[in-house]
Amino acid sequence: MSMGQGRRRRWCGLACGVLLALLPACAPRPSGLEPPRLAVMLPPGERPFWEPIARAFERRHRGLVVDLVEGPQSTDLRENLYAASLLARDPTFDLVYMDVTWTAKFAAAGWLLPLEDRFAAEELARFLPEARAAGEYGGRLYRVPVRTDVGLLYHRRDLLERAGLAAPATFADLERNARALQSPPETWGFLWQGRQYEGLVCAFFEVLHGHGGFWVDPATLVVGLDRPEAEAALGFLVRCLRAQPISPPGTTTYQEEESRRLFQDGRAVFLRNWPYVWRLAQAEDSPVRGRLSAGPMPHVLGARPAATLGGWGLGVSAYGRQPALAVEFIRAATSLESQRALCAPTGYAPAREDAYADPALMAANPFLAELRRLHAHAVPRPALARYALASDILQRHLSAALAGTDAPGRALGRAARETRAMLGSDVTAGAGMDR
Amino acid sequence: MSGAGLTRERTLLLFPALLLLALVVAVPILRVVQLGFHRVELDGGIALHWAGLEPYARLWQDGRWWGALRNTAVFTGASVALELVLGVAVALLLHERFRGRGLARALVMVPWALPTAIMALAWAWIFNDAFGVLNDLLGRLGLVRGPVAWLGSPGTAMLALVVADVWKTTPFVALIVLAGLQGIPEPVLEAARVDGLSAAQRFRRVLLPLLGPSLLVAVAFRAVQAYGAFDLPYVMTGGGPGGATETVSLYAYRNYFRYLDFGYGSAVAVQGALLAALLAAALMGLAGRRGRVRA
Repeated sequence: MSMGQGRRRRWCGLACGVLLALLPACAPRPSGLEPPRLAVMLPPGERPFWEPIARAFERRHRGLVVDLVEGPQSTDLRENLYAASLLARDPTFDLVYMDVTWTAKFAAAGWLLPLEDRFAAEELARFLPEARAAGEYGGRLYRVPVRTDVGLLYHRRDLLERAGLAAPATFADLERNARALQSPPETWGFLWQGRQYEGLVCAFFEVLHGHGGFWVDPATLVVGLDRPEAEAALGFLVRCLRAQPISPPGTTTYQEEESRRLFQDGRAVFLRNWPYVWRLAQAEDSPVRGRLSAGPMPHVLGARPAATLGGWGLGVSAYGRQPALAVEFIRAATSLESQRALCAPTGYAPAREDAYADPALMAANPFLAELRRLHAHAVPRPALARYALASDILQRHLSAALAGTDAPGRALGRAARETRAMLGSDVTAGAGMDR
Repeated sequence: MSGAGLTRERTLLLFPALLLLALVVAVPILRVVQLGFHRVELDGGIALHWAGLEPYARLWQDGRWWGALRNTAVFTGASVALELVLGVAVALLLHERFRGRGLARALVMVPWALPTAIMALAWAWIFNDAFGVLNDLLGRLGLVRGPVAWLGSPGTAMLALVVADVWKTTPFVALIVLAGLQGIPEPVLEAARVDGLSAAQRFRRVLLPLLGPSLLVAVAFRAVQAYGAFDLPYVMTGGGPGGATETVSLYAYRNYFRYLDFGYGSAVAVQGALLAALLAAALMGLAGRRGRVRA
């Protein structure tokens, strides 16, 4: 009898345990009574400048909460967090604050709502055409640009003037001037980003187009990496590091910040980087303050200079609960007023055309006039769904050539072959879907 | 009868724990194995198509996979070998009686307690060509002329990864070996001393054989862990230069998150895990045989 009772008690305990374990699953779900919420994840440094934009939007939409989630500093990590959330069809983020290179991937994965019908043609016409086009994939709009970036060449104006030299127009000028003005290892001629990562692709992309070459034509999927222009372009970068180098040996480990620090310490004549450097290098405590100028990357005779197009924009998650409000937020976040709030204190280049005629913005950052001119040279990286794979293939072989483990021509030949194989599988996959 | 009842009850009581384990371990593993037989297409959504063994066939022709496998093997072999030698040395030191031994033992564990990503960042700056401490020291000593870009060429980048890993995980090996040393009865060593064996002979003939099991445990743990290295190369080199430090884990991760190729990424992960399991089984088999031989 006592045993039966004991067993029953144990059974009760077991049942209670199981019920307790299941309890969290029955927790009340957020009901309609909770205030509607719009969430977006931002780089930590940008969040303070988005605050006024978010608060203004909340004032116009009574009872709405705009949640500006502070993500990690690294672009890759934020992309992963967004990807993990969207893969799980999780409604946490209503908006995706995205880099230009995410557009094709996120759109092809079906994670974003197409936006072309949500905006009037004249609204979209207000943006810089390059920045707007970078938000399109497969003929539809998935991302509205907020700010834009272009690669450019910074010069030490004081050193050039003292030597009576002009800013370099061609790669030959750059090499000659760098060699004339440098005294390594204290001062180097030309700094750029040579670590195996996206920044290397950006730097090479500019040199490639400056030599009249191309990477992948996104329309025809023709790969241009094994053409003579590409070999000449990579040959130039390799030459920067070899016999009588104009770039430090550490270039193959540099990302933007390593090269920016060296340049800002006054230890280089030329630097390839993004617009953010200007504000930092002109700060009160910068050794090179007031001794800089900037211009487009060089080119060879017969080709045009090129500036890799970067930048950030907003897309609407396919799994958010408030798509209509999210679209409204994008409209508000890309108003001239919001562009002022974001770009005046930070020095970011606004995506709206009329921002470059705005007296307040231009007074806050006179460098914007130069950036507007540089946009004439902006070239977008190919909009491929598997862009990341194409970029990794290129990075790997460029890096091998820079490290000296492969000859430029051979490295590019391999990169071209692997890129074709990757695109080929994509093409046949598409054909398979039609059948 | 009551015994049978108890067993059934025991099984029932184990059930919640087994269910939890199944949910968090078995289900994801099975899902990865299943995904490994698929081809992924990105076309207005992520579409999975059954592809059988095709992803595995692709592995055999993928130079990048072979490169990653080679890098992982070099990294694992070099770092585990060095950690073993240094770990035993450190353990022998810490086994001696000296003033402040407790403090020394605690301090030695500090690298092991640091988050890998953070210490990797610190090492990346140490190896930096222009601002790095290493070049500064070597330059002052007159050992190098001009800064060396340690992370900039394939050989030195791998060396840098191994150094960072050895710095971080030698304490782990030392800890296991120290525990092994403490398990060796003092009379055994005393007898060896009485028999007139020199210190080197005592180490080779007595200590090392008795330490065998703990050494094998340390090697097995470390080999499998080093084989899965991800955070160190991710932070220090990003797999570069020229893919010379890309590990199997890094490659699997990139297939998943960067290319959204869950099929191929899973094939890489499954193949990688199978090879790691083989490695562990071989080491454990070795441990078992040695144990039996001695018994």
